This record gives sequence, structure tokens and C-alpha cells, in this order.
Amino acid sequence: MTEPAVHVDALLKVFDVPEREAGLLAATKGLVRRKTRAVRAVDEISFSIEPGEVVGFLGPNGAGKTTTLKMLSGLLYPSGGEALVLGHVPSKRQRAFLSRITLVMGNRNQLQWDLPALDSYELNRAIYRIPREQFGAMRDELVELLDIGDLVRKPVRNLSLGERMKAEIVGALLHRPQVLFLDEPTIGLDVTMQKRIRAFVADYNARYGATVLLTSHYMADVEALCKRVVVIHHGRILYDGPLTGLADQFAAYKTIGVALENGNADLSQYGEVIHREGDWITLRVPKADTSSVTARLLTEEQVLDLNVEDPPIEDVIELVFAQEKPE
Amino acid sequence: MRALWGTMRAELVGAGGVVERNAYLTRRYIWWDIAWFIWTVANTLTIVFIAKGVESSGVEFDVNQYMTYLLIGAVVWAYLGVLFGFLMETVAWERWEGTIEYTFMAPLSRAMHLAGQGVFAIVYGIVRAVFLFGVCALFFSLSMPDANFLAALVVLAVASISFIGIGIMTSVLPLISPEKGTQLGFIAQGTLLVVSGVYYPVSVLPGWMQFLAKFSPATYALEGIRGAIIDGEGLSRMGDEIGPLLLIGAVSIPLGLWVFRRGELYAKRHGKLKRSG
Repeated sequence: MTEPAVHVDALLKVFDVPEREAGLLAATKGLVRRKTRAVRAVDEISFSIEPGEVVGFLGPNGAGKTTTLKMLSGLLYPSGGEALVLGHVPSKRQRAFLSRITLVMGNRNQLQWDLPALDSYELNRAIYRIPREQFGAMRDELVELLDIGDLVRKPVRNLSLGERMKAEIVGALLHRPQVLFLDEPTIGLDVTMQKRIRAFVADYNARYGATVLLTSHYMADVEALCKRVVVIHHGRILYDGPLTGLADQFAAYKTIGVALENGNADLSQYGEVIHREGDWITLRVPKADTSSVTARLLTEEQVLDLNVEDPPIEDVIELVFAQEKPE
Repeated sequence: MRALWGTMRAELVGAGGVVERNAYLTRRYIWWDIAWFIWTVANTLTIVFIAKGVESSGVEFDVNQYMTYLLIGAVVWAYLGVLFGFLMETVAWERWEGTIEYTFMAPLSRAMHLAGQGVFAIVYGIVRAVFLFGVCALFFSLSMPDANFLAALVVLAVASISFIGIGIMTSVLPLISPEKGTQLGFIAQGTLLVVSGVYYPVSVLPGWMQFLAKFSPATYALEGIRGAIIDGEGLSRMGDEIGPLLLIGAVSIPLGLWVFRRGELYAKRHGKLKRSG
């Protein structure tokens, strides 16, 4: 049995967050006695990721995703629990660990703003001790795959957001990491650029068998790349399983699309009509009633076409995120 | 043994990478560096002109020697500023650039990371100090017939080890206090300025400040460099300066690394390792 690439057991991160009332008096009091509140940013979460797996790590803002990724990269020390990445404890900063992982944060940069990306790549070559030949080959391969050509010769500040992100990804993968922590790598990018980066991540995963833990607010990223998702909210894991199973667990309804000979028929007796376009009508029905409603439709109406679907993944995620914080 | 050498070589290559990056950045900002250098020249001239001012008031003294004395103080002070600046930037600049998480995630030991910063700072600082001294000395046509410049440079290089150690300690401040840490670092610099006899002999200070001066490497650096340039002393007669400098260096470097390590642990526990701005 292979060892998991990432193993997290009851991982906990508590931050002491300062808090005070508004006003001068409260500000003065704060100088003498500072009030803090313990916030459990990550609340004893557990999961494992097998080598080569691509897992979506989903949650609303402030759910604990980035905190978890930072603990897995050794940038934050856990308050409790255990994390192992490629068999290493991240907080120990062992070279064998650091040189086999990477963290790409969509809203951060590792490339120096005023230097061409090529110069920053040279620093990575030295720090990650990549042999010159391997470095040149990998750099050229990544530059070609991401189609950024001569852009790496321009100062980073002159690049567009999408170009900069691609240059960042090249820098992050030069040492050919086995584990990729991708924290919203497509944030702010246009649809074409998002697609290209998605395709690149899939390609990298296939070529090198890399393990990927991806956070993204764009469900298209997750649907394209991840068979499995871990959903975190208020620091706790709400779901860990196949993407396709998410709707089964959280969506209380399904949608039935139906085309009738009589396109104007009133179908409100079967369920909530949520969309009507030409002859095609979409109904929302409670999950438990799906088969009986379908059967009724087929017997009572002149049906030309019919399909039953789970609600769109965006809607399911919205339902999950709408859940209250558990006590 | 072979594995140890391999690791050491790899670490040195990593430190070399940090030096290389600083060289790229200096080349990128060369015009700003030139502008800053001109400002430093103006500032140094202002200080050296104090000797001329005192002379014009009718006091009789060796004005050439006093000007040289002040010039050495100003140049060493500017050099110290460069060293501290580079080391403070280890954290503060990276925090501002947004690269701090990546730098601290890189597989490079903190000692080598800081060594890379320090080595570049020393080389850059010494080149700048030599130019600054030369320009100002030419401006005033200062006469230094006995000067032993080589000995002065050696003293400056030896003192740099201690300066780097203290600089590492101060560079941790922006790590543990992202908002005000950089400003706190100036306290350390200011303390060295006031107690080390940069523009006056330490003997004019109150007793307790003279006591503090004994722990400042700048005190010995200034005495040594002034001895070499004004009195032409050679290294063989500088045991009283080089000895304490080596001792302070031997203590301050490991202490600085230890302090930085503690600061890094604190930052990683409290989530302070993130960009600002």
C-alpha cells in the first residue's frame, strides 16, 4: 500500500485575534490590557491524498483553506494535530520536503516585480540546486507549455495579470515538485486564460504524476480537474468525497428538464418551474419525489424529451456554504 | 565527509543565488543608487564642513586632521546604514514585494539566506564607502600622508562581521512586528551612533555611555580606521581594536541567527509571515 502524499490528522490552528470596542477610551484601555479572542481557523480537520490525486479544496472566504495550505507548506505552525507531506512534517523545513513541494498563490508573487522573470528563475535554480541542463530544459518546456515565450524577458511589472500568473507558475514548477498546493491560481483571470491554466495543471499532473490540492472559487476549475473534493467551512470539513456525490449529500432537490408537445402546459403541479425556454421547461423537485414526479409526467403529459439532473455544482456549493457554523 | 562537503557546497550555491539576486536588483535600481549616493555625499560634506565652521570661529587646531576625523565618522556611519538597510530589507522589502512566503518556503537554510544578504551588503557597502571617502577627500583636498588604507579596509571588513550579527538581530523586528518593526530597527542604529564616537571621542561621553560603547563594534572600528588613516598605524598595532571586533563578531553572528530563528518561529506561530501593502 502506498503512503499518502498528504496526510492530515486532527490538524488545528488557533489564532489569537485582538478585539476591542470602538472609541478612545477602549483604545486607551487596550494599551494596558489587550483583549484577544481565540479563533479556530482550522478546527481539527483530517484527510489524506494519494500520490497523483487531484483534489479540490473548497470553501468560502475565511473558511480555513489558505491557512491549511500554509500549514502544509511549512509557513504556519499548527496549534495541534499532525500533518505529513511526502512523509515529512512541514514545519520542520527539511530540504527533502521543501524541494519537492510548491505553493502557488493567485494573489501573491514569488517573482521580483521589477526584474524579468528569467532573473528570478535563476535564483530558484540556485536555491533549489537544479542542475543547469535540467533547469534549462524544464524552463523551456514550461515556457512552451504555457505559451509565454519572450514574456519572461520583460520586467514582471509590464506583464498582464494572466501573463504574470503563467510566469509565476513556471517559477513555481522549475524544480519539478511532486506536490502542488494551488491556492486560487486562476483568480482574476479571463475565461481563456483560466482554461489554459486548467489544461496545463491537468497536463503537468499526467506527465509527472504530481499530487495537486487545488482551491478555487471557480467551479469550472474544480469540475475540469478534480474527481474528489474536500469542502471546508468555519474551519471544519463538511464533505470529503467524489465531486459527483456532493449533490447527493447536500442538494435536497433535483432538476427535471422536459419538452412537451404542448409547450404552454402548466406544470406547477409537478414542482417549481425555474426556467422556461421555448418548449423546454425546467422543474425543481424534492429529491425524494423525483421518480414519482417523472413517472407522473410521462403518464399524464405528452412528453417529447425528458432528463433528470443534479442541480449545477455552483448551486450545491452555495447550499453547503449557507450552512450555519456547527456548535 | 563527502556528503558534508556536498551539502556545504549546495548551501553556498544557494547563498550565491541570493547575492546574484541583489546584484540584479542593484543593477535595476542603479539610478536610484546614484541619487542616494549623491545625497550621502552632500550629507557627508555638511558634516565635514563643521570643522571649517569651528576654524572660522578663531579656535586653533589641526583642521585637516579634524576634517579627516569627521569624514571617517560619516563614511563609517553611512556604511553601517547600508549594511543595516540590506539586512532589514531581508524581511521588510520582501514583505512589501509580496515574495516573503516564497523566500521562507525555499529550501535554503536561514544562515545561508542571511549570509547571502550580508555578503552582498558588505561588498556593496565597501565599494560605496571607498567612493564616498574618495569624493569627499578630493573635495576638501585633504592631506593624509601617513594613511594606511589597506589596514583601514581590513578593520572595516573585520568590523562588518559584528555589524552583520547586530543587523541580523534588528532584521527580525519587521518579522515579528510587520507594521512598525522597521522603525524599531532604527533604535539599534541610533544607539550605535550615539555611543560609538562617530563624530566625537568616546571619552567625552558620560561614564555609563562609555560603558555601553565598549559593547559597540562601531567604537573599535572607528578607532582602528582613524588610527590607520590619520596616524598610519598598521594591523600589528591594532590588537586592541581587532581583538574585540573578532570577539563581538564571534558572539553576535550566532546570537543574531538564534534571535532570527526565534523570530521566524514566532511569525510562523502567529501567522505574521505574509505580505503587507
